[in-house]
Amino acid sequence: MSTPVTRTLLVALLAAVGIAPVSAATFRVDDGASMPLESTTPLRWRQFAPSRSNDNVLEGAMTIAVRLNLAPWMNRNGRIFLVLPEQGTAPVRVSWLTQGRLLPGEISPGMRVLVYAGPVAGPILEETIALKIEADGTRLPGMQRLRFHFEIDTD
Amino acid sequence: MPATSRRSSAAVGGSLLVALLVCARPAGAFTVTITAANPRTLYLQVGVGSFTGIYNSGGTPGSNATVNTVSVTVPAAQVGSGTAQTMTTNSTASNSFYDNYAFCNAPAQLYIGGFYRSTTNTGAATLTATSPASLVNGGGDTIPFTQIRWTSSGNGDTGAQPFPAGTFVGGVQTIGTISRNQWAESCHTFSYINSNFVAAGTYTGRVTYTLSSP
Repeated sequence: MSTPVTRTLLVALLAAVGIAPVSAATFRVDDGASMPLESTTPLRWRQFAPSRSNDNVLEGAMTIAVRLNLAPWMNRNGRIFLVLPEQGTAPVRVSWLTQGRLLPGEISPGMRVLVYAGPVAGPILEETIALKIEADGTRLPGMQRLRFHFEIDTD
Repeated sequence: MPATSRRSSAAVGGSLLVALLVCARPAGAFTVTITAANPRTLYLQVGVGSFTGIYNSGGTPGSNATVNTVSVTVPAAQVGSGTAQTMTTNSTASNSFYDNYAFCNAPAQLYIGGFYRSTTNTGAATLTATSPASLVNGGGDTIPFTQIRWTSSGNGDTGAQPFPAGTFVGGVQTIGTISRNQWAESCHTFSYINSNFVAAGTYTGRVTYTLSSP
């Protein structure tokens, strides 16, 4: 015997199971296999001496081997973003260059930047990105960790 | 019982959905660790110094072992008269490595400048001078170092000097400070106070300047 309540639940659950994978949404991408090629990036003064323009920037570079698991979105169109959440850190600006699979760009804490738009052709996307990191030398309190992740928006 | 069967299916479906969502969570974001390397940098120049280029166009300070001399010859008739005798230097450093501006007038003045770089908010760097009690000649006669004083200025400067006028104390004394991430410079003009009647001779003594960070 099927009651109206039961039917409603059933429809709702089936809808959840059946529709979610094909609807537009934002998902966090599994980038657990990505890793920096250096354990720590030492930042050095951009200008060895203090400047008239008050340039107190520290800068450094790091290379990241990116490996994104895109299997859940195979054969679909998507936009992949690099995300650097606000982490209560000193002012930091990170720019990067790529080998062409992802877009180059620039990011600061609290931002989400597009790095790919188009069809997801394969289950794994591998890329090497060269980060350039700049921080305010007057406000960098020793060691600091920047936690990045990737998100995908599907159509 | 179709209805019961559907309820069972729905319950299983819900449980599976939850399980799949848990499994689909990413393994984790990547982390970049940054740290300030060489967070403290000090540069001190007393007299001549070395700099590759000019700092505001990306120059880099170097090391210079030169010890400049400040001297005066007191005419015999003036010895002990109390009339101060202006001293001159053998320094050729007039232009500031800050911006190549002709800040001092060598050899009349001695350039004293430097900078302090630090990522920590822990005060200023301190410039001290250590002078012996006396200048000494070959015969062992002495002149107290307190007989030497200096004025402080800089071409184009209108405000207070970071390293102001003073008199040697014959010991360790503070000459001035350099705030964090600042460049500071002054030009010192030395004079011999000449209030003592002393034996003839060449009197010498060395002053060592030290810039210390917190």
